[in-house]
Amino acid sequence: MNLEKVIFGFFVLLAATLNFGFFIGDLGDPELHNVYELFAAVVVNLIAMVLKFGDRTQIGAVQLATSLVASLQLIAAAAVWAYATNVATDGLTREMTASVISLSGGALFANVVSVVLLVVETVSFQRR
Amino acid sequence: MGNPLLVLWYRIFAVEDEGRHSDGVERPLPEPPGQQPSAGILLVLRRMRIPLIVLIVIFAVSVLGLTLVPGEDAQGRPTRLGIFEAFYFMSFTATTIGLGEIPYTFTPAQRMWVTFAIFLSVIGWAYAVGSLLALMQDRAFRRALARRLFARKVAHLGEPFLLLVGYGNATKRLARSLDDMGRRFVVIDRDENRVTGVDLDSYRADTPAMLGDARDTGNLALAGLGHRHCEGVVALTGNDETNLDVAMTASLLRPDLPVIARTSSREIAERMHAFGDPEVVNPLDRFGDHLRILLRSPSSYQLMVWLTSAPGSPLPPRRDVLPRGRWVVCGYGRFGRELTADLRAEGLEVTIVRAEGADDEETQHRAFAEADVEHAAAFVAATEDDMTNLWLVEGARRANPDVFVATLQNRAANASLFDAVGVDFGMMPAELIAHEALARLANPVLMRFLPAVPRQGEEWSAGMVDRLVDRCGAGTPHLWRIRLTREEAPALLGRLTAGGLRVGDLLRSPQGRERSLEAVALALLRDGTSVIAPDDDVVLNLDDQLLLAGRPGARRALDATLTNEPTAAYVVDGGFAPSSWLWRRLSRRSSAVPKEHV
Repeated sequence: MNLEKVIFGFFVLLAATLNFGFFIGDLGDPELHNVYELFAAVVVNLIAMVLKFGDRTQIGAVQLATSLVASLQLIAAAAVWAYATNVATDGLTREMTASVISLSGGALFANVVSVVLLVVETVSFQRR
Repeated sequence: MGNPLLVLWYRIFAVEDEGRHSDGVERPLPEPPGQQPSAGILLVLRRMRIPLIVLIVIFAVSVLGLTLVPGEDAQGRPTRLGIFEAFYFMSFTATTIGLGEIPYTFTPAQRMWVTFAIFLSVIGWAYAVGSLLALMQDRAFRRALARRLFARKVAHLGEPFLLLVGYGNATKRLARSLDDMGRRFVVIDRDENRVTGVDLDSYRADTPAMLGDARDTGNLALAGLGHRHCEGVVALTGNDETNLDVAMTASLLRPDLPVIARTSSREIAERMHAFGDPEVVNPLDRFGDHLRILLRSPSSYQLMVWLTSAPGSPLPPRRDVLPRGRWVVCGYGRFGRELTADLRAEGLEVTIVRAEGADDEETQHRAFAEADVEHAAAFVAATEDDMTNLWLVEGARRANPDVFVATLQNRAANASLFDAVGVDFGMMPAELIAHEALARLANPVLMRFLPAVPRQGEEWSAGMVDRLVDRCGAGTPHLWRIRLTREEAPALLGRLTAGGLRVGDLLRSPQGRERSLEAVALALLRDGTSVIAPDDDVVLNLDDQLLLAGRPGARRALDATLTNEPTAAYVVDGGFAPSSWLWRRLSRRSSAVPKEHV
């Protein structure tokens, strides 16, 4: 067992699961989406991204790209949320919530790709 | 399946067809192995992984804690910081900006947490910055960065450049001359001090220099062997094996490039020639040739050295005629053998003294007496150790104060010692190699001219030197070549086809045709044959090439003569050629009448 692979797989998967947990539920209902889950998703995604730094392989490069996409999407979602709660006069409306959730939905897609890549890498490693 | 004879036939033909490769067929060059230019960034990313993760975690924990710790608003009602507010607060606290407690004054519980978070973040930052600084100090990392910078510089070179392998004394001299001529070059050397020396030598143009072994093909590729602007490879290292490797690599991968390689051994020279057609410079061999030229004609020697010096060098002094009596050569190594053979070929009587036998005062005395140094005309100290040479020279001077003394000066730094001991003719391999290489690099046509100089005789050479000094001043003239073709001399086309254009007419000044340009025609190339120093009455034909020596101003003036119709008309026959279309039309009509009368 390779500890590095365990940690790597853990963070990639945790990033996807947290993202999914935040995303699921009615798109426009703020009550169904916990902001701490978004916070956790951002942090874990950032860690997963840094873990992928400096990998020279082709699959490593694509992994880094997907993580970059996911992190940027989640940071954008967090920024929209911060704007809605602190700046906008109407607070967290249905429209605002919907845009936060849809942004995190995009990140979820990137995270799914990341997980798929992880699985592909694992499977091809097993066959060798 | 095939006839073996046929295969053999093709093999023989393939050898003869070698020239085919030079038709600009580019072969793929190997990627530099191991260290790629982008290795630096990858290294930073990999080394910074843990510090960055630590920073992210510390930040996340601090923000999360701050949102969970209970606080109070201005009215004392319990409240908590939002994630955004906590993030904002931690951002300015962690970066030590510290704007105060917002949005309300903190409770003691919040302050406790913030104190903890501050220390945590300081540790995180210290760790991250420390790792980054340690990385910057890292030798491998800096080398990777330098390599990357070098690769980028070479890739962006937009003008022709030479690839110089090794940066020893000879190359340094050559580089200085090339720089004075406005040429660009790239340096690769194995020695770190020499590579840093390139920057200290402050050339006019930015000179990329790389630390690396030139025997590694990848390094050569990185240094621009495959670059489309690379115009030649010069391998003048002191190591014959390296030079051979470089010459072979360059001949195989870029057969179209000229290669100049140094070697002191005939076997290596033959192996260099096996793969292509490199110009081989053998300093030991060439010293004998220089001595022979000097024996025959001091002026020819003076002229050749001058023309292959850096632009602007003063005219070297003309040496006295060498004595043609009996020569004593001391030291019978590679150099001594070559020299003895050359001197004997010149018809001189040569006595050889083994330097090994002359270790102490007494044996030296006996050896010198045996060789009869007392009555010799000239003495050559030719060992490969400067101190031994000095000692031999000193001994020879004592035995015979009037003897002509020549010596091999292996290290340039010892030049002043040899001067002090009173050497009549010293040869520095580094200087000689630099001259020989420059002769081949300065202008491709120059090598048609130089070898022919010694054959012209003393009087001719002396006249040539006087003519050059008279027209171009006392500094080494610039050398350039003009082609009198349809493309490069359009203004002279009519006169060239009609015939009757003399060299003297072409080299008149556009400012006043009674004065001649500050330039001298050194050689005329016509249909593969060359005429040395054509005089003013030689008639030029279409497609002739001229090698000229002169001042840069003369070159510009001549360019105008070649390309500008009115200038050409004035310079060649003192006439006036209208430059506008209308006047050309009108003047053609009026001038047509008198021409028929002539």
